[in-house]
Amino acid sequence: MPSGALLFQSVILGLLLGGLYALLASGLTLYFGIMRVVMIAHSAFLILAAYLAWWLHENIGLDPLLSMIGTVPLFFGAGLLLQRGLLSRLRPATLTMMSVLLTFAVALLVEGLLGYAFSGTQRRINLGYGSAGLDLFGARIAVVKLIAFGLAVVALGTLWLLMKRTRFGWALRATIQHRDAARLLGIDTERVAGYGFGLGLATAAIGGTALSLDTTIYPSLHWHWIGPLMAIIVVGGLGSVPGAAIAALLLGLAQSLLQIPMGTTWAQTIFYLALFVTLAFRPQGFFGGRLAQRF
Amino acid sequence: MSITSFRARFSTGLLATSLMISLGACSGDSDDSAGDGPITIGISLPLTGDFAEPGKGVQQGYEAWAKIVNDNGGLLGRQVELTILDDQSNADRVVADYEQLIGQDQVDLVVGPFSTRLVVPAARVAEEYDMLFVEPAGAAKEVFEQGFENLFYAAPAVANDHYNHLAEKILALPADQRPKTAAYAAMDDPFAQGTAYGLKEKLEAGGIETVVDEVYPPNTTDFSGIAAKIADAKADVLVGGSQYQDGVNLIVALQQLGYQPKLAAFSTAPTNPEFAAAIGDKTEGVLSPTGYSQDAPYPSNSEFVEKFTAQFGVPPEEDQANGYTTGQVVAAAVTAAGCAEQGECQQKLIDWLRANTVETVVGPLSWDETGKPKGAHMIQQWIGGDIKIVLPEDVKEADFLFPKPAW
Repeated sequence: MPSGALLFQSVILGLLLGGLYALLASGLTLYFGIMRVVMIAHSAFLILAAYLAWWLHENIGLDPLLSMIGTVPLFFGAGLLLQRGLLSRLRPATLTMMSVLLTFAVALLVEGLLGYAFSGTQRRINLGYGSAGLDLFGARIAVVKLIAFGLAVVALGTLWLLMKRTRFGWALRATIQHRDAARLLGIDTERVAGYGFGLGLATAAIGGTALSLDTTIYPSLHWHWIGPLMAIIVVGGLGSVPGAAIAALLLGLAQSLLQIPMGTTWAQTIFYLALFVTLAFRPQGFFGGRLAQRF
Repeated sequence: MSITSFRARFSTGLLATSLMISLGACSGDSDDSAGDGPITIGISLPLTGDFAEPGKGVQQGYEAWAKIVNDNGGLLGRQVELTILDDQSNADRVVADYEQLIGQDQVDLVVGPFSTRLVVPAARVAEEYDMLFVEPAGAAKEVFEQGFENLFYAAPAVANDHYNHLAEKILALPADQRPKTAAYAAMDDPFAQGTAYGLKEKLEAGGIETVVDEVYPPNTTDFSGIAAKIADAKADVLVGGSQYQDGVNLIVALQQLGYQPKLAAFSTAPTNPEFAAAIGDKTEGVLSPTGYSQDAPYPSNSEFVEKFTAQFGVPPEEDQANGYTTGQVVAAAVTAAGCAEQGECQQKLIDWLRANTVETVVGPLSWDETGKPKGAHMIQQWIGGDIKIVLPEDVKEADFLFPKPAW
């Protein structure tokens, strides 16, 4: 029987991990919601943002958090270009399947360029506060994990406000819910979709920075992330950002707690078990509401 | 054993054709079977594919060895010539390569490729032709369970014996200082796990209780869960069967939880040049076994480091040293037996190696009847911002630091 202290510590770690998962998965579910695109390259862009944070820290001593001032607009622009230049050219009938192939190629391209520019050497940002921690009723909370969690809360909160309270958000949600009806109302759905895609990639800039605070990075690392992130957005309901956030928190917590009795190898399978259960019993996901995409 | 780097390597798979490289002197009459032409040595290496990075490292070691031997007048007065084929990290290719080298090219000697997966099929071909087979890689115990009678592993120890010097040192501590509990976390990989479990076996036999024993898959990126278990158990000794990123991530996760072991040992990661850049000034006292050190005071090592650096512009690492060591072992046998050709000579070489000790850049090597080396790895420790040899006593650069300072 694990001690109470270990259980409490694992709950804390699980919530922090879940917050990071939520941040990393939010863009992925957004792309799918807006334009039914499965974006395999999302995690490759996370690693790209992490590398940019590492490079800026290494060369001009910039704190990774400040690197977001540059990377967030840069990624927004890249997302816009990617959508306008490549994805919008796919035929609507085969869009979802072809987007897998296209973004798979983009992922390989990003990985290859990272290897070319930074070599395969595994890097880690060495922060003064990298191993610092706070005490909370006997459990320890690492400062970097807390910052990553904070970034997730701020990014997802902003995204939520943007979607619910702004005209752009209404247009975006209208485009998600019914593209033709939105167009009839005078919404330029093409442009909205481009901005939405840019928004998704901007979350990758924030997520990648959060990742770089507490992970050793290497170009092929993104393959380890795309599987669990895909599982999260399916369980959460495709296209639903709050759904993905809830699924991420629950799965992060489950993974952390299952690690105590089952070990790391089996605890990881919770993602795929949850994916299987979702597809078998509730294909529209558990937290996406009635508008989530059905398989 | 640096398989940490190949994963992320920018693919070189397009170099599909076999690469043939000939080194050494090519002048004079080339009458192979008589005694005065060059001695030809056949090698197949993974120069492309998964193991390209370490494969090229071993290739440099072989090339450095051939150059140094030839500059010193050759073997038995004959120049040495290497024929290197690229097996593309493919086990079928490696068999075809050695068939070609021995049967068609009629090389005088063969030496091994890189990685356990390729060493076993290659050694089988060499055995069919009754050839001596000295190999630079293949530390997993499976290699020595195949019943090979011609194989010798040219390194100080197999994975399970890497920590032998450390185990002895810990168990020899006075009872009031000796640690009582230990935590083990190992990657699900025969090499990384072998190192940690070799030490675990010995410490358990010596009465040190195992309180955590975790295995994680190679794709693990979050180590906070494992760290929480280890910190909760407050183990005195921490042992990581790690490659690179896993070791670093685990160490940082443990530091974040405020866990302070009395002794921390990790395979591979602490000897990586990136380690200090990743962990910063919190490396003091971390231990690691190593098969090769540029600073080791073995007689031939300083010559190797100096000439290798002159030839390639960078000092040699472990893969390069393994290739070089293989050359040294073969050279010692050839010199002692006074012959180097296919046929009866090969058995003479095998018999000599079975009975003798060879001085190499990784220390004196001798083998048991399965070809397993009888030694152990040196133990290095981070002391004063640098990694130094602390065990065994006769080659140490600094004193063993125990207990480890807080990180």
